[in-house]
Amino acid sequence: MHPLISDAPLIVYVDIKSPYAFVAIRPTLALESELGLQFDWRPLTLDIPSYLGSAKKKDGKVVESSGRSPKIWNAIKYSYRDARRYAERQGLTLKGTEKIWDSSLPNIAILWVTQTNRDRLPAYFEAVYPPFWRRELDIEDVSVIEDCLASAGVDPTGFAQFASGEGRALHDALQPRFHPSGIYGVPTYVIGDDILFGREHLPYLRWHLSGRVGAPPDIAYELAPC
Amino acid sequence: MLTVYIDFKSPAAYLALAPTLALSGRTGAALTWRPFRTTERALPNTTGTETASTESVAQSHRRVRAQSRRDTHIKYAAHQGIDLNFPDIPGETDLALGALATLSGDPLPFITAAFAAYWQGHANLDDPATVTALLAGQNADTSQTPQDLRRAQVAAQVDADAAGIVDAPAYLIKDQLFIGREHLPWVAELIEADD
Repeated sequence: MHPLISDAPLIVYVDIKSPYAFVAIRPTLALESELGLQFDWRPLTLDIPSYLGSAKKKDGKVVESSGRSPKIWNAIKYSYRDARRYAERQGLTLKGTEKIWDSSLPNIAILWVTQTNRDRLPAYFEAVYPPFWRRELDIEDVSVIEDCLASAGVDPTGFAQFASGEGRALHDALQPRFHPSGIYGVPTYVIGDDILFGREHLPYLRWHLSGRVGAPPDIAYELAPC
Repeated sequence: MLTVYIDFKSPAAYLALAPTLALSGRTGAALTWRPFRTTERALPNTTGTETASTESVAQSHRRVRAQSRRDTHIKYAAHQGIDLNFPDIPGETDLALGALATLSGDPLPFITAAFAAYWQGHANLDDPATVTALLAGQNADTSQTPQDLRRAQVAAQVDADAAGIVDAPAYLIKDQLFIGREHLPWVAELIEADD
């Protein structure tokens, strides 16, 4: 799998543990549905401590932090507040995570759903994303992810083996190829020669995928109805 | 009333100028322009001793992110008809930001001139003569000393930090802070809810 090549008109990279990906899922699925297309959804498991430092929280308080300056903390706090208010507009709850999770299992499950029951991918996202951000899921537990798959109407039989075998290998082989390909975060959209980070590009993507009629739109966070 | 925080060396703030003015024109919202000193960095260098093969994950992340952001700015600038020309080393703009903090009357001519001077001519907006010339060109008050302007910039930065600003462009409206022009739909909604 080449990070920038797909048969689909658009590649979408997401990570379950990213609040920005969380608030991008529904608008991106809506665009996919609106255009009658099928995007190529793929996992990008962020290595957050490597570039933002690490932290652990308990009862909402930071109990352990390393490599984070006050400036980084302010930016992180703003980012969470920002993602939270947009999530609330979508009727979703976004609670800051208590630790930096290893999200590779639910991300590998994206590959599983894509390979076994692609039409259920939106249902899988709904089964895993909102409860995770309500702090209701231990996404490092394979049985929890199997339950999410089942509740989304995807047969989880064989997922555990996939997650430790073929799926893990596919996932792990993809990760080191992101930076050399110009990809660094989620959500990232790959369309033609464009690599675009953030859901603010959805208006441009709609314009591009709809035949490029008129002037290209500027970046914008499209609003879900309150 | 919409308060907009900008720095002339911020490409995101530059590209927000036209959409923000369009929003103001469409809604009739009054704009208050405030300075906020951003941190702009040159693209990380990978052509010297530190190459892409030896850099750490963090270094690689920063390099790819910086290049991606720059490419995105250039792409959307082209949509606005702007040929965004990044200086090799980002310049300082403190004096011009101090001037913005102290301007009376309509600051827009100065703002427009300062953005153009930085992005089209790579002007040094921390140079007293350059900033005085920009002010004079807009018939603005040039009586303040460079020390006055620096003090004004520092004071404005303290105020901005206290308001929770972390980058530019930032929009403050009804106690809600938005960073980036991608929020303009929500900002517009808040303005229109007042009408």
